[in-house]
Amino acid sequence: MKQEGRSDGSGATGKPRYAIRMMGIAKSFPGVRALASVDLAVRPGEIHAVVGENGAGKSTLVKILAGVHTPDEGRIEIDDAEVTISSPLIAQRFGIRMVYQELNLVPDLTVAENITLGRMPQRRGLFDRARAVDDSERVLGDLNAKLDPNELVGNLTVGQQQLVEIAKAYLADPRIIVFDEPTSSLSEHEAAALFAVIRTMRARGIAIIYISHRLREVLDLADTLTVIRDGRAIETRAVEGMTPQDMIAAMVGRELADLFPKRGAPIGQIALSVEGLGRRGVFSGVSFHVRRGEIVGFAGLVGAGRTEVARVLFGLDHSDAGTIDLGDRRLVRLTPIQARRAGIVYVPEDRKLHGLVPSMSVRSNLTLAIIGSLSRWGWIGARRERQTATSLIRRLGVSPPLPDRNVSTLSGGNQQKVVIGKWLATNPKVLLLDEPTRGVDVGAKAEIHQLIGDLVEQGIAVVLISSELAEILAVSDRTYVFHEGRITAELSRQDATEQTIMTAATGEVAT
Amino acid sequence: MTSTPETAARSVQRGRLSRVGEQLAVPVAIVVAIIIGAFLSDRFLTLGNLLNVLTSMSIVGIVSVGMAVVLISGGLADLSVPATVAAGAIVTLAAQPVLGAGSIVLAVIVGLLIGTINGLLVGYAKANPIIATLGVSTACLGFVQAFLGGSIVYGHDKALVDFVNSRPLGIPLILIVFVVVAVLGHMQLTRTVWGRQIFAVGGNYAAAEASTVRVRRLKASAFMLTAGLASMSGAYIGLSLNVAQPLIGTGYEFDAITAVVVGGISLLGGAGSISRALLGVLFVQLLTNILVLEGVPDQVQGIAKGTLIALAVGLDVWFRNRGGRR
Amino acid sequence: MKRISGQSVLATVLSYRVVVALLLTIGISSFVVPSFFGERTFSLTLDQASTIGLIAVGLTVLLIAGQIDLSSGATLALSGIIAISLQPSLGALLGAVVGVAVGLAAGALNALLVIRFKIESLIATLATMLIVRAIAYWVSSSKPVAGVDIDASLAVTRSMLGIFTPRSLAFVLAVVVVQIWLSHTVAGRNLFAVGSNVSSAAASGVRTHRYMLGAFLFAGGMAGFAGVVQSLSINTGSPVLGDTVTVSVIAAVVIGGTRLEGGRGSAIGTLGGVLVIAFITTAMQFQNVPNYMQQIVVGSLLVLMVLLDQLTGARARAAIRPRRFVRRRPFTPS
Repeated sequence: MKQEGRSDGSGATGKPRYAIRMMGIAKSFPGVRALASVDLAVRPGEIHAVVGENGAGKSTLVKILAGVHTPDEGRIEIDDAEVTISSPLIAQRFGIRMVYQELNLVPDLTVAENITLGRMPQRRGLFDRARAVDDSERVLGDLNAKLDPNELVGNLTVGQQQLVEIAKAYLADPRIIVFDEPTSSLSEHEAAALFAVIRTMRARGIAIIYISHRLREVLDLADTLTVIRDGRAIETRAVEGMTPQDMIAAMVGRELADLFPKRGAPIGQIALSVEGLGRRGVFSGVSFHVRRGEIVGFAGLVGAGRTEVARVLFGLDHSDAGTIDLGDRRLVRLTPIQARRAGIVYVPEDRKLHGLVPSMSVRSNLTLAIIGSLSRWGWIGARRERQTATSLIRRLGVSPPLPDRNVSTLSGGNQQKVVIGKWLATNPKVLLLDEPTRGVDVGAKAEIHQLIGDLVEQGIAVVLISSELAEILAVSDRTYVFHEGRITAELSRQDATEQTIMTAATGEVAT
Repeated sequence: MTSTPETAARSVQRGRLSRVGEQLAVPVAIVVAIIIGAFLSDRFLTLGNLLNVLTSMSIVGIVSVGMAVVLISGGLADLSVPATVAAGAIVTLAAQPVLGAGSIVLAVIVGLLIGTINGLLVGYAKANPIIATLGVSTACLGFVQAFLGGSIVYGHDKALVDFVNSRPLGIPLILIVFVVVAVLGHMQLTRTVWGRQIFAVGGNYAAAEASTVRVRRLKASAFMLTAGLASMSGAYIGLSLNVAQPLIGTGYEFDAITAVVVGGISLLGGAGSISRALLGVLFVQLLTNILVLEGVPDQVQGIAKGTLIALAVGLDVWFRNRGGRR
Repeated sequence: MKRISGQSVLATVLSYRVVVALLLTIGISSFVVPSFFGERTFSLTLDQASTIGLIAVGLTVLLIAGQIDLSSGATLALSGIIAISLQPSLGALLGAVVGVAVGLAAGALNALLVIRFKIESLIATLATMLIVRAIAYWVSSSKPVAGVDIDASLAVTRSMLGIFTPRSLAFVLAVVVVQIWLSHTVAGRNLFAVGSNVSSAAASGVRTHRYMLGAFLFAGGMAGFAGVVQSLSINTGSPVLGDTVTVSVIAAVVIGGTRLEGGRGSAIGTLGGVLVIAFITTAMQFQNVPNYMQQIVVGSLLVLMVLLDQLTGARARAAIRPRRFVRRRPFTPS
């Protein structure tokens, strides 16, 4: 059901109808209020961008639209009629289609089959491949996407796969299409193709919600903009006339309570020095250094390449270029075991996936990386192990302080402490922390920051990767800002502000 | 195929009741079985009968120790046991004239070799354990039969046969061997670095790897251990019967898997213990014993075992989904 | 991992490996077996291959759907026993029908365990295998069962069109029908979707559970059919039948290019794989290579195929798809 031909949404009939209106949407999860009260209204044939910091609530909003979550409060209207989106299939029935960054296609079927999956045309009981190809070509043609309908989706590039995903959504004659960070995996060229497609869809009267970090894109593409901050829609306005600075100010502008008192630790010699590090297709020209006793922050948007750099430093991935010097030792062809021995350790982003063994106790998790050194002839020295575990528990303030408790019964914050503790036990010189306070409550967060402060006082060099500006600003002595695989800024403690970091993180500064 | 186990960490928070229930289920079942057995037949609680149960438990028990380690390490199962048992039996008897009692050592070495192949395939090449061990089993059985030229092997050393079948202090030798293996296995799993790392590999492969554990080597070692134990059992069987033929090992793998799964060791890995495996073996043997005493045909026992596996795994999945938080 | 040059060449060779393997085996066999291309030999080979072939077709469909079945050997035995045992009371034809029904029942049991109780198909069908095999021993009292209808036995083994028997004809027909169904019906395409990315299929409205059920039933039914025909042809039902069938079937299917992880496969490919196994077996039989030697070859072949799949599959696919700056994990909400 296509809308009457309008391309600017102002209504040939004179009365602006909204394709979708969300009013007063609130949603909480245990321990976290994701959305406090959000209003969002999108007209047919409008590209409406939604921007905000990491953790501002955009994803939750999207999931509500998709029918994955239902709001605790608020009202949703589609075409002026109130609706309840209780499941993803219901959302589809209302004409809402999602294009996520994580594509959900069938790699072993062709483009045409993927586009028509679930609604494949039949003729005389058999699959009408010709018509499926025709339909696909028509839809792809409408979207100006040049793809071979008979190609296997698994053989396409990510950008092409995304076009297939869009074509699939488009074939279903949608009212509203939501794009969630669509360009993070695309090349410039592919992104341009995507924008052309989106503009075409706008011309056909589809309401488009476009979520992105990339401010230039938003300025280029969108008609209207809503800024979300701390679970609220702060501002909605037309994009025309806005500058990136305006956007950043809106996204970020709030009083920064000084939650984390910063202590000074004596800063010593250079512990880690990296020159020109590169990994093909992921990051390049990365150069930085960290001194003993220093906390260096790695700021940037999700996907900027910081985790990837850390993984290379720990030997989990290899580099294609550049050098890594630990003290005066050059590290070559690193493996995790060598890295650990040399004194660099990495506390991964996702503690559930890479950090903890959920079936084991706190004690076993704490000693996992050093169990060899606590043993003699392969036999674990039980008393030594217990002592190590107990002292680590005390040092980290793990609660409850019971070494034999199963680690999965601990809260997120305490689990994180256990993961950090595991690596502390190796007596590292350099500690790479990747989002150490993600999913951790405020109290534990403060404790972890305290812990980091203690560690640098003992002479450890710390690299803190975080997507939370407040954290970086509070804790770092110096900050490197990453953008799309490069370092775009090195900021001293005085120079680092939310503005300067955000600006560099969105690529607004000359590299 | 949805058959590859997830190695992503699961944060399972079980209700206290459900956890206690899980711990006690098998011991309770054993007690119930004993009561039922005593009720049904007066021969059940005799010393002779109980010793019988323990003895028949021993071979399966030895293999189950290995199978338990494979499961705990996340290796799913080792289906090449029948071939390895047969190889052990045949090598022992065939090499007897030349090596005497030392042929047992040769048998274990052959078993370790087979286990190494399995280990390389599963641990390093990351092949599906079921398919890989199935293939190796078929090929190995073929080799074994080729070696024999299609016939069977007889042993020659009467003294050795008597020794193997002896009962020092009234306890069958095999039972003593089994207990020793079980105790060693238990200590290995709970007190050594290797054991700790095995639990880590099965509990969360990715986390173990990121924690600098040598995951591939450990996964392979589980298969080597199982094969070594299986061939050792085979050596024993061959010696005690004084004859060996290629099908001598049939069925042991399923008995071991049934016992281990019933005992409560999860297929997904990372949890379990030798004691659980032993409880499982005991329960299955008691059940078999009761059925035999009641004159129930062999085949029904097979049905019972298959049903037990399905039940045990189904319950495990049910508990996980019900009490767990994803 | 370093990219090996010529990787894409290797990948292409592998995707056509069934053809390569077939040509190789035909070549070797024609040397070893003088009358290889003769009508009689070919007919015999094809007939012998058909038992494995019928089961393999069923397994192909199931694998494409993303599941596996280890119980087919046991089902083979039980269906045959039931069919033969019921001959005196129901006659050959009706007995055969019941036999096939037994196969369907086994498939239904598998489906129940996997879909309803969410047990992985590997373990579930392992359990079913034990149960069905035990039932086979029980029903037959561990002894072979002799059939009473010689005519039926002859009917099943007579020569048709020179090179076929009813069994091999059924096999070839099954291959053709399944191939058409897989490539040219909507249901067939949906089956690939279910095996390749079940969440995408479900999100698109495909009734994934129904497809899995159907696949299990089909695999069980084919095993049942194969068992019935096998037992009829030798006029005997025996509980030890099909002991080693599972490995050969999996080997045939894997050689034929069907992927164990689901989402890819073809009936024609399976036909090729079955023929490879069949020709190797015939060649070995002709050289009086004993059965156990054949087991060695088949077992090693399976291991080799699995190894090749693992070592090259992932890399080949990665080489085909150039990736650029991919974010590791989806955006995580607050």
